[in-house]
Amino acid sequence: MNSAAWVDWIVAALMVGGAAFALVGSYGLAKLSDFYKRLHGPTKATTLGVGGVLLAACVFFISAGRGGTEQILVALFLFITAPVSAHLLVKAVLSLNAADRPPQPPDDGQGRP
Amino acid sequence: MPLQLLAALALPWLAALALFALPNGRRNTAAAIAGGATLLAAALLAMQGPAVFAGDVPHVSWPWLPFEGADFGLRVDGLAWTFALLVLGIGALVVLYARYYLSADDPMARFYALFMVFMGAMLGLVLADNLLLLVVFWELTSISSFLLIGYWQDRADARRGARLSLTITALGGLALLGGVLLLGNIVGSFQLDAVLAAGEVVRAHPWYAPTLVLILLGAFSKSAQFPLHFWLPQAMAAPTPVSAYLHSATLVKAGVFLIARLHPTLAGTDLWFYVVSLTGLATLVTGAYIAMFQHDLKGLLAYSTISHLGLITLLFGLSTPLATVAGVFHILNHAIFKASLFMAAGVIDHETGSRDMRRLHGLHKYMPLTAVLAIVASAAMAGVPLLNGFLSKEMFFAETLQLDARPLLSVAIPLLATVAAAFSVAYSLRFIHDVFWNGEPVALPQNPHDPPFWMLVPIGTLAMLCLLVGILPALIVGPVLAVTAAPVVGGALPDYSLSIWHGFNLPLLMSVLALFVGVALYVMLQRLFRLHDLVHLPRGGREIFDATVAAAVRAARALTDLLVNGSVQRSVLLITLAALVLGLFTLLAPQPATAPLTAAATSAGPVAWTLWLLTLCSLAALIARHRERLEALVYLGVVGLAVSLTFGALSAPDLLLTQLLVEVASILLLLLALNFLPQRSSRTDPPRRRWRDAGLALGAGVGISTLVYAVLSRPRPDSLAPWFLENSVPGAFGTNAVNVILVDFRAFDTLGEITVLGLAAVLVAALLPHTKTAGNIKSPGAAAGAGRSLMLEITSRVMLPLTALVAVWFFLRGHNLPGGGFIGGLVLAIGLLLPSLGSGVDWVEQRSTPRFEAWIGWGLACATVTGLVSLALEHPFLTSAYLAPVLPVIDKVPIATAMFFDLGVFLTVAGAAALALTRLGRLSGAPHDGGRT
Repeated sequence: MNSAAWVDWIVAALMVGGAAFALVGSYGLAKLSDFYKRLHGPTKATTLGVGGVLLAACVFFISAGRGGTEQILVALFLFITAPVSAHLLVKAVLSLNAADRPPQPPDDGQGRP
Repeated sequence: MPLQLLAALALPWLAALALFALPNGRRNTAAAIAGGATLLAAALLAMQGPAVFAGDVPHVSWPWLPFEGADFGLRVDGLAWTFALLVLGIGALVVLYARYYLSADDPMARFYALFMVFMGAMLGLVLADNLLLLVVFWELTSISSFLLIGYWQDRADARRGARLSLTITALGGLALLGGVLLLGNIVGSFQLDAVLAAGEVVRAHPWYAPTLVLILLGAFSKSAQFPLHFWLPQAMAAPTPVSAYLHSATLVKAGVFLIARLHPTLAGTDLWFYVVSLTGLATLVTGAYIAMFQHDLKGLLAYSTISHLGLITLLFGLSTPLATVAGVFHILNHAIFKASLFMAAGVIDHETGSRDMRRLHGLHKYMPLTAVLAIVASAAMAGVPLLNGFLSKEMFFAETLQLDARPLLSVAIPLLATVAAAFSVAYSLRFIHDVFWNGEPVALPQNPHDPPFWMLVPIGTLAMLCLLVGILPALIVGPVLAVTAAPVVGGALPDYSLSIWHGFNLPLLMSVLALFVGVALYVMLQRLFRLHDLVHLPRGGREIFDATVAAAVRAARALTDLLVNGSVQRSVLLITLAALVLGLFTLLAPQPATAPLTAAATSAGPVAWTLWLLTLCSLAALIARHRERLEALVYLGVVGLAVSLTFGALSAPDLLLTQLLVEVASILLLLLALNFLPQRSSRTDPPRRRWRDAGLALGAGVGISTLVYAVLSRPRPDSLAPWFLENSVPGAFGTNAVNVILVDFRAFDTLGEITVLGLAAVLVAALLPHTKTAGNIKSPGAAAGAGRSLMLEITSRVMLPLTALVAVWFFLRGHNLPGGGFIGGLVLAIGLLLPSLGSGVDWVEQRSTPRFEAWIGWGLACATVTGLVSLALEHPFLTSAYLAPVLPVIDKVPIATAMFFDLGVFLTVAGAAALALTRLGRLSGAPHDGGRT
């Protein structure tokens, strides 16, 4: 390990930041009152929390000269998939509580029985 | 010379291959291929004639089984030569006949293909120079005759007859195999020369009796000897050319051929005499008696065949040299006249549309040529002088009179032989008189007339032979008979004269008596007993057989209902219980003294504790919430994830990846399956059952834990692991030992596993309905119109190429780093499901429908070919090599050949998983709506 101290500082900051987001996200998931609000928690945890940790790993391995591309790939996949799952969750809940919603506009192609 | 033998044997098989590829419409081509191959094979064998007549035994052999005296050998002595020519000669005639017999709707090429397979098997049987090889061909005749008898697959009686004949002859074949193995052990070799020379040893051996009985069981079942004869009449549901071939010269003759073949080795004891001759006698009399009462033309011929086979068996049982010669002679004669009679019966059936002798009358006016030929042949069957049947029957009578040593039998056998001969005169007369005279036809479906010329040629040829042999026996058949009978007698041939007239003697008297009694019997039956009204259905063997089969099926069904009654709970209960009981037994077994634990236990770090707690918590949640199926699935997923991570914590990245992907795939499968289940299961079990289940679960859990603890707390035995680690680079050119084990050290296992996997996937696809079932969507989201998600659709399409890339990456690096074909295949399969999840099955199918079955096939082919290449280079199957081709631009590319094997694994796994997933997805229709994801 021949990385400079400032690299260690950056890695540590990113790690702690990511972990903090993950903690806040989990706390929010447990604490917030209604589904739509609670959904904010895990989305922050997956994007900012995991993203921070991945960034830390990336910086660490690049500075150590042992690659670092895998972490970027993981982040890429995560950023593609995480929003989709959140989106689907919302859609599912919206359809479950269909009565609470304003009526659909007629032309969005969703009028199937 | 050796090549000629091999070519003669190979020709029918090659013709069969060609015919299987031929479209069924090409009727003349099919007949030409079959006929050409038959004639060519016959010519090749005929060329061995001079050598055979000179007393040589042309033979050829190649090493076959890896022990002494089991070569793949062909051998042509007189018996084999004559039999082979009989098989091929009558085969050629039947080929010609069948071309005109089969209608345009019958699949002609398939008929000839099966026919050639049967002929090849029969030829192999008679030419085999090795008892094991003989048994192999014997079984092949059973199987191919099954297919031939059941040729008209749409007819229930054909299917039943075929099944019956297969069951009886295959069971006999098993007995024969047992007998042959015993015999080979006694002799110390399976080669025919050795076996034939070892007669003294065999007969004196303590195993002689079981050996004899087992071999005779095989022969008797094949030659339809009483009481195993009942399959033969049922086999009459076959097309007539098949009957003409199987029941004259070939299938049923295989049994008597075997008796003749082994006669020098096994005959000559009291046991042989009594078993063989009494079985033959019983068959002779019963067959002839029942034949008289058959109203079906082919039924009459079937029972007459049984009776004549009994006669031959009886002759071999008497076992004097002269009786043996007579037996061989009658084999030839019977083949000739019975083949022509069957073909004549087929002509009548073909031209009138009926085989019922109560309706067929007066046909001599309508089909005079057929009538003449049939009369000649049936007169030969009845044993009328100037025809071949007379000669062998005369010899038979003479031999029945030579039993002075056994007072009771010396009276009974000649008497019963004469009675049976009278019966045979009666049924032969009935065949002629009923069909060709006796008034006018009754309500025939067609107007009878003579058949096409070429249909009569085979019958005419054989009828002519009957006459020629009957009139000029010494000239026509004398030398052939001598050379055929010599190996059966097993020593010097006795003196005999083949002439029509031997002066007034007792055999002649018996013949004349039989003729008169037979005629009188027939007239009496017609006039006094109104034969046509008698319905004589022989009961016995078939009923017992049917009852046995029915009982076996009932028992199997009852057992199945008991164990697998469609309730998953029941199956799981029984499996768990069985595992528990078996596990307890191992505990009861005496334990080796346990050495104290030597290695220090690994202390669990914080990661292990966290994973353990995670697993426990999600398990507890799973148990508490298991009635909410979707929720339970989430907890199950967490458990799976924790298990995967445990592998990671224990430094097993390959296992981690595999387990993770399997978890993903199985959760996906379960999600798709949930569409068919209610969202929550209600509690209906009575408390007693719940306590029982809880106890069982607890027992199983404790048992597994105990086992794991027992394994972990004992010193590790010397394992193969260090060897694998040391040899994975030098031996298999890969640094990832796990993958190297899969694709190199244990590649054969892997080949078996992917084969099973591929088969299972194809089965899943076959069992699931092919059409989408509508209305199975239980998702309230879909019902409420949550509909499609544009975001998911687009993302899933973007993800597919990315996932494919990852799959290929895992595959390529697999040999040296965690990954490999299995992991890559799973990744690809999951990726392939994504678009259907996002956009719906319809959307995907409109664009492309990959044939995953073909992937499985290509994968298996790729893996197998990789192994075969190393075999071709004279290395053991699936040996790895290291290639380093220099490609332009890329420079040197290191490739272990195990990679091609891994490519096969990759394709098979991807195909199998994708096939199962997409089929289930298509069925449930859930991905269509995206509401479930």
